[in-house]
Amino acid sequence: DPGPAAGVRQLLVQCKFPSKMGHVYSQYLGDPAVTPDHTKGPTFDPLYGYPGGRKERVMIATLEEMESAQLPLNKRDYCAHLAIDHRACRQRVWPLTYKCAHEKHTYLNCEYADYVLRLKEHERERRLLERAKRKAERAARAAH
Amino acid sequence: MAARRLLTSRTLIGLPGGLPGLLPGLYPGLLGLQVSRNVGHWNKDWKPKPYPVTPEERAEAARKYGLRPDEYEPYADDGMGYGDYPNLPVVSAESRDPYEDWDYPEHRRNFGEPVHVDFDMYGLDRINASQKMRFSMQQYALSFFGVMAVSIGIYYYLEDKKMHWPVLPKQYPGDGAVHYTFEPAE
Repeated sequence: DPGPAAGVRQLLVQCKFPSKMGHVYSQYLGDPAVTPDHTKGPTFDPLYGYPGGRKERVMIATLEEMESAQLPLNKRDYCAHLAIDHRACRQRVWPLTYKCAHEKHTYLNCEYADYVLRLKEHERERRLLERAKRKAERAARAAH
Repeated sequence: MAARRLLTSRTLIGLPGGLPGLLPGLYPGLLGLQVSRNVGHWNKDWKPKPYPVTPEERAEAARKYGLRPDEYEPYADDGMGYGDYPNLPVVSAESRDPYEDWDYPEHRRNFGEPVHVDFDMYGLDRINASQKMRFSMQQYALSFFGVMAVSIGIYYYLEDKKMHWPVLPKQYPGDGAVHYTFEPAE
């Protein structure tokens, strides 16, 4: 919806504001058409642009293991097997929890890699949206 | 004459000078169990008589409260009235002349002057209902509701416009969809 942001946007465009500002600015005051929606997943085909394909993510912990460990639902992601290992270690050595440093760091590094993957997905989505916009503009120019 | 003396003695005792009378009545008032105001010591003879119907009753009530019959007007007898107590114009104590030699300067009232039903609300330390406000009530209402409307409007407009990191939602394996890394398939 245009709303009052359209007026601000027009003013900033006239001032030749750089378009590669932060994602929040780009989403609300910049160009929402080339900003991914952070509440939804990727809208393009995941294998688009990868002729050699992409490696699939593998879930190592099984549902029975996660249920047996009573793992919270929000931790049942692709790092769940490391979460279970860390929790088991803590349960063995508590209260000397410093002894679980290796398991903790393994789990947190996995979570960091997962977050980096989310960043990459967002950036891929953004570049594909900009490419789609360029293609549409080229098609519109060719039509005239 | 006797009625006027009763009136003034009630106001004398009912005011903060009657502090011993206030204390026992304060506790149920604080709990919200008490619905009537406290006037300290109360005497049943001070209760207003029923609403005057005949002209003789009206004249007698006017004389009791120190008013002329033509300026005496009781509250309407619709179940929310005060019997024969007069409906006096509201003049708050703060709006009265501060330099006049009042008999009771702390209330800006003279001896025998009829007392408003809500006189404890219109004292020097409470509401000044007769003051000239700087702006009109419409301006006050417009300012208040304008500010509230703008605040609420801004709140609801920004409710779905949130700050966030540039990440897409977390990928959970239970969704049923296939998730990929960014490495090439072997």
